[in-house]
Amino acid sequence: MSTVATQIDGDEPASAPLRGLAQQPSKLFPSLFRSLATDERLTILEVGSALPETVDFFSRYKCRIHFVDLFAEPLMQNLHRVSGPEEMRQEFEKLLKFPDGTKLDICLLWDFLCYLDDAALRAFNNALRPYVSRRTRVHGYGIHHLAIRLENKQYGILEEDTLSVRKRRVKQPKTHPHTQVEMREMLSCFDFERGLLLPDGKLELLLKARNNIENG
Amino acid sequence: MQESPPTATRASAPTTKTAVIGAGIEIAGDVSASADLSINGKISGSIVQSSHDVDIAESGKVKANISARVVKVAGEVEGNLAGSEKVFISKTGRVQGNIVSPRVQLEDGAIFRGSIDMDPAKVVKPAAPAPAKKTTESSRVATSAGSSSAGPDSKASGNGTGPMHAKVTGGKEPGLTLKSG
Repeated sequence: MSTVATQIDGDEPASAPLRGLAQQPSKLFPSLFRSLATDERLTILEVGSALPETVDFFSRYKCRIHFVDLFAEPLMQNLHRVSGPEEMRQEFEKLLKFPDGTKLDICLLWDFLCYLDDAALRAFNNALRPYVSRRTRVHGYGIHHLAIRLENKQYGILEEDTLSVRKRRVKQPKTHPHTQVEMREMLSCFDFERGLLLPDGKLELLLKARNNIENG
Repeated sequence: MQESPPTATRASAPTTKTAVIGAGIEIAGDVSASADLSINGKISGSIVQSSHDVDIAESGKVKANISARVVKVAGEVEGNLAGSEKVFISKTGRVQGNIVSPRVQLEDGAIFRGSIDMDPAKVVKPAAPAPAKKTTESSRVATSAGSSSAGPDSKASGNGTGPMHAKVTGGKEPGLTLKSG
């Protein structure tokens, strides 16, 4: 049963439109939680907008979720205007400004990496680095060539193995395909744990912190 | 027939009163309520707190931290929300700030930017509202909609067409304490 159909308590009805959400199964998503001690407090980064079902899903955990809707940031429409790698890193650092000592357990990147060119991918990785610990796990999607059509969708979480999919309201940024080899080189904080080719050509990715990341 | 003020009081339950800050009311300062608080106007301060519920209506705009048992947002909030029981953002709600509450619910269409902390151990209990009698100065209240009362215990002077002063006094009834910023 979808958690969104469940009322948190008796005084507020579940949001009716959620019941008609498109769903997408995920084989890799449950793996995010298997290695985590979910009785401990989780720190989560969600780079999309805050969706009811995602909040509802995480309400079963002790957690802090940082919602930073990077897709809606003007930077994503103006990557080509950023002059150099250092400026790009600073732009991402401004957007990923978390309290001192924050270490992320889960990063929900969805298809965000597909919209980053090489320089932006490196800058994003570097801006995220202070918040990555050995426990950090990442879920996302990748595309490895332009022939794969990436729809302008946003994702939420209905269950551990079921995501919600809806049309994203902000303009779709330009896509930048990367091979796994390229991504491995540019995302220096992470190793590929698992990848799964989906019927639509996207690659579902599960990443984990590299061994050279300090424990936090 | 007894004439009742348009927004001064509104009983939401036989035993519970709701203090209402009406549309058109602007408060610059802190607000403390010992009753449910419904905000239809604008508040700009450092804190809005109630030992009961705070409800920010669609027309309500708050630029302050909010601490209450249940916080419901249908309007706009720029500040942190602490709900000792629950925080609910409806489809028209827009919140920029951090939320701490054991339970948080967003309605489809709600816009939220910030962090949500659902660790019950970190829940901030709303402080007991300061006694109303400690109000030391009148709060600046500007009205544009003819709504002249800031709360059930407020005593306001003015004709509803321009700036006026609302002096809030305490009593046995649940009410508001305003502290100008």
